[in-house]
Amino acid sequence: MRVVHPDSLTEAQEIARDAGGTACFVAGATALQLLWANGGAKPDILIDLGGIAKSRGVVAEGGDIRIGALTTLSDVASDEGLQTGAPLLAHAIGSVAGPAVRNLATIGGNIANRNGCLLPVLLALEARLVVFRSGAMREIALAEWLGETATATDIVCSVNVTAPGEGAVWIHRKVGLRRVFTPSVVAVAGVVHFDSSRLGECRIAVGGGVVTPSRLVSAEKALQGRSIESCDWASVSETIMREVEAPDDLFRSGAYRRKAAAGTIVHALKAKLDGVADYVHADPAPPTLASGEIALGKQMLPDRWFTRPDMPEKVDATLSYLTDVREDGMLVGRILRAGVPHARLLSIDVSAAEALPGVAAVVTHRDIRGENGFGIVFQDQPALCHDKVRYAGDPVAAVAAVDAATAEAALGLIRVAYEPLPLVDDPEIALEPQSEAVHDSGNLQTELHLDRGDVDAGFLEAAHVVEEIYEMPRQMHGFLETEGGYARLEADGTLHVAAGGQHNYRDRMQLSRILGLPEERIRVTSSPTGGAFGGKDELTVQPALALLALKSGKAVRLHLDRPESVLAGTKRNPMRLRMRTGCDKDGRLVAQEVDLVSDSGAYASLSPGVLETALEHAAGPYVIDNIRTRGRLAYTNNGVGGAFRGFGANQMTFAVECQMDRLAALCGLSPNDIRRRNLRTPGMPGFLGQRVSLTERCDEMLEAAMTSRLWSCERGLSPDGADYVGVGMALSYQGNGLGTIPHDEGGGVLRLAEDGRIEALLGLDELGQGLHAATVSQVADFVGCARDDVRPITGDTLLAPDSGSTTASRGSYVLWNTARRTAPEFVRRMIAAAGLRLGREPEDLCLVAGGIADRRSNSGDLLISYVDLAAALDPDERPSVSTHFAFPKTEHDRGNARYIFAFGATIARVAVSRATGEARVLDLDLHSAAGPVIDVASYLGQMEGGAIQGLGFTLLEDSLMRDGAYLTTNLDTYMMPGVADTAERLSVFAQESLDEGDDLGPRGVGELGIASVTPAIVNAVGDAIGYWPSRSPLSAEALLDHMETMQ
Amino acid sequence: MSGAPVSFRLNGVERTIDVPAETRLSEILRDLLSLTASKVACGVGRCGACSVLMNERPVNACLVMAWQLEDADIVSPEGLDILPETRIVRQALSAENAFQCGYCAPGFVTVLVSLLRNDPDAEMSQIKAALEGNICRCTGYHSILRGAQAAAEAVRAERSKSA
Ligand code: FES
Ligand code: FES
Repeated sequence: MRVVHPDSLTEAQEIARDAGGTACFVAGATALQLLWANGGAKPDILIDLGGIAKSRGVVAEGGDIRIGALTTLSDVASDEGLQTGAPLLAHAIGSVAGPAVRNLATIGGNIANRNGCLLPVLLALEARLVVFRSGAMREIALAEWLGETATATDIVCSVNVTAPGEGAVWIHRKVGLRRVFTPSVVAVAGVVHFDSSRLGECRIAVGGGVVTPSRLVSAEKALQGRSIESCDWASVSETIMREVEAPDDLFRSGAYRRKAAAGTIVHALKAKLDGVADYVHADPAPPTLASGEIALGKQMLPDRWFTRPDMPEKVDATLSYLTDVREDGMLVGRILRAGVPHARLLSIDVSAAEALPGVAAVVTHRDIRGENGFGIVFQDQPALCHDKVRYAGDPVAAVAAVDAATAEAALGLIRVAYEPLPLVDDPEIALEPQSEAVHDSGNLQTELHLDRGDVDAGFLEAAHVVEEIYEMPRQMHGFLETEGGYARLEADGTLHVAAGGQHNYRDRMQLSRILGLPEERIRVTSSPTGGAFGGKDELTVQPALALLALKSGKAVRLHLDRPESVLAGTKRNPMRLRMRTGCDKDGRLVAQEVDLVSDSGAYASLSPGVLETALEHAAGPYVIDNIRTRGRLAYTNNGVGGAFRGFGANQMTFAVECQMDRLAALCGLSPNDIRRRNLRTPGMPGFLGQRVSLTERCDEMLEAAMTSRLWSCERGLSPDGADYVGVGMALSYQGNGLGTIPHDEGGGVLRLAEDGRIEALLGLDELGQGLHAATVSQVADFVGCARDDVRPITGDTLLAPDSGSTTASRGSYVLWNTARRTAPEFVRRMIAAAGLRLGREPEDLCLVAGGIADRRSNSGDLLISYVDLAAALDPDERPSVSTHFAFPKTEHDRGNARYIFAFGATIARVAVSRATGEARVLDLDLHSAAGPVIDVASYLGQMEGGAIQGLGFTLLEDSLMRDGAYLTTNLDTYMMPGVADTAERLSVFAQESLDEGDDLGPRGVGELGIASVTPAIVNAVGDAIGYWPSRSPLSAEALLDHMETMQ
Repeated sequence: MSGAPVSFRLNGVERTIDVPAETRLSEILRDLLSLTASKVACGVGRCGACSVLMNERPVNACLVMAWQLEDADIVSPEGLDILPETRIVRQALSAENAFQCGYCAPGFVTVLVSLLRNDPDAEMSQIKAALEGNICRCTGYHSILRGAQAAAEAVRAERSKSA
């Protein structure tokens, strides 16, 4: 690609004309990467218009505003003349892409794309373009220009608008897939002249995304000349819906776009004409804390607030992640993905790729010395495919080359022949006998049943029955650091594989099995990593990295880009869950039936465990004597499902907690009363009949929910008529640990290091959750030293022992128990060693911040510092204490049952927009009871982060697929919550007490934050509009349709 | 296979590089110069992980191509300390434990430093508006907003001290 920088328009146009179709004009060039990533052809020549200085800047004179086309969007929006004369344009610019993009993107570029979000505003302003065409300047109305067929050689030079002037009101609103930084669903704008009694000239326009940009002439006519009182808004609305041309796309229907356009125009215009300002929902009252409850935060708990040990290096950007490692001579790896969802693999020819200069290694299944299969539970997933591919992201080959460009070129030279097989893309159809088998064993991966009591008789007793089908999305983990890392052969022959993971010893075992290498010859580093959430629990890029390093004999790095991460990575299993629940007239649950179908995708990974965990939570924290559950997990060609924070429990809780509110409504009970009548009581067996641990806090959580401050906030229709507001609650009852069946052990080491730091060696991983903060906190507590004296060593099989996986909210227990079990002996040895050096009796000594002190003195003076003590000791004299233990389990063996639970209640206040059906979370209060809070900041972070990931699951996120291919391939269309989508206020509370005799310590909260956010939001929607959506992410269209039936 | 060499200033140092014209600044930093403090999490301008300052304004390094760098002044997270506000902002964000995995942090810090440098009086609504282009998956944003608010206060305090 060549870039030319003409000095004049004439020159630019000549180059474009002579180049034919292979040149394109660029200015900010911000749209190109996405265009190219989505398959747009790269031109041979980019004609940079940036040198044509005349076209830059904003000039406002009188009412006329001339905007040079090369002016960046941020410069346009911040121009004072423009802000005064045409504030709606400044407003609209604020809705285009993100602020950093607007610092590069130009207004000319936005217009020249012909589908920009600014077109409605510019149409409403009757903008005129100055276009350089065939060697001459021409002024043309924007509307007219849009009607012409695009000419590749036109250059937009400036945009001219006239300020609407005094007496005009304006509106602008962009409806998107999320609140801001979003593709447009529809954008609306209007300028209406108004002389306090009558509407004068009206200019209303729509556009954005797939909506045809145009003025709404009939709607304008319907308003023009009317007095406010005589405006027939209902008919204006209908007129708009008829007039807007809007097709369906993947995300929203055309009908929705038309309704949302009509709704926003009418609401915004009415409010402007009536002079009604947007209503700001007031903050709720300060929380009242239950006895023993604390509110978490730096301000509320200054004495318990510590800077996390990993925080400065993260904020300073000096932490090197595993995908940041660069070394001289390091090769770059790439993986060839199948690209077809289901096919027999006939042949792979890598000869041309191998022959490409700069390619160091190409690996295929032929390079696998061990077993070509992995998977935490079932080893059904090939490291590199050999006979068949089962999803489009299946790896077929990998290359290592001197640089990324060569690696990419090499991928293109690998010839693979496939024989397509019928696609299996619907989990329910997959289970029908005529379906093509994804695996030889058939498509039914797992089927689980439970039948207790007499369900049919129970339903006969029921006064009310609610039956609903809940459908839940293929949520993406969305860790910001995509999968990757490096591998190399160390001098001693050890293979070192470093890639973000959640259980390095298991990764090592799986690699050993694949590579046919003894585990001792492999070192796995699995953290730090930029987020995991379950998505790095299974192996990701490690097999390819290892094979490439072994074959090339060199260090290789490999980092998936986002589209490849989307294509290859595991996702939350989409579920379809039919739930039928009956209660008697007093709201007592008499029977429930659950039928769940989960999409495993091409391989099992942890999906069977997710299914099992979902079913274990089928009654939530309630007692239902008659219950029947069935769960089926189906293989399909839809990507791969697996572990994701919540692990099935949050999906089941969505259904259970919404059933409760619906039944309450039918019985005329409050959400609290119906729960009170059915809540389990401490000491009862768990859902599977298993013995469960002490410290049940369901009652306390329900009490916290009942007395929540949010119930006394304003509810119902907001004073400005914009929203319906509701409050909803849901309880969380979240199992900790892997359960009775899987091997679940932990342990660690506490030792004095050579430099005097007290090292805690744990095989766990710092994923962002605060493992290091929690570790220094616990060790300091048990040992008596300061936090700064402690150094956590984690995430590496060479450096730390096996502590089990960093999943299932089990890490807190493991590190707490390790510290608890090693500290007494460690302290004993420390004071013995110090006593010997100091000539003092050990009984007189104790460990304090920085070193050893006299037990009887409060002076804080050190008798010897840890540094000096360590220096005085031979390596084998330095205390080192290790421990190993089983994660606490119950005895149940007829299914996988949890022993330890954490408890919570989520209360949400939600506003549903009457114009668009969008739900906005105003408040989220998260109450929790998970034992002692080890580190306040980490606990708070896990609760907050989990809650907002749950908000994304509820309102925004789904990985859409068609024919086995992802349609949401990057963050431009996969919508994770942004800063504008998070709950406006988010508060976290904790009850820390443990029952007498409970020696299980702190519970994990990695999953508690997400556990019941979805039903709390949905129940708030139910409270607001009397309709409980059963599909997440919530469909704004369904909410809008429902609201139409209200009144 | 290279374009015309481009000269620009990176973290205060003049650099001339010779790479294909469409090479992105994010690749130039991370792969060519091994400056890995700025991250890449989408590559299409939709996450802010790659944020750097270009002529004092935040831009997405994944969207800037080599040919656009001529004469530009680029500050990557490695060089952000050149700006006096950086230390204050980082200190405030650390004290609030604003981040979790930290992968988004270099981008957020870059944007916040730029915002508070130009407008230390920025209120919460402006802070939120400035952060609209940065995605964080771990925190749910509230810790970052609390840290940003503390940072704004600290920058103001510092300015009134030196005024
Ligand atoms: S990597 Fe540049 S914005 Fe995401
Ligand atoms: S802290 Fe992990 S993405 Fe922001």
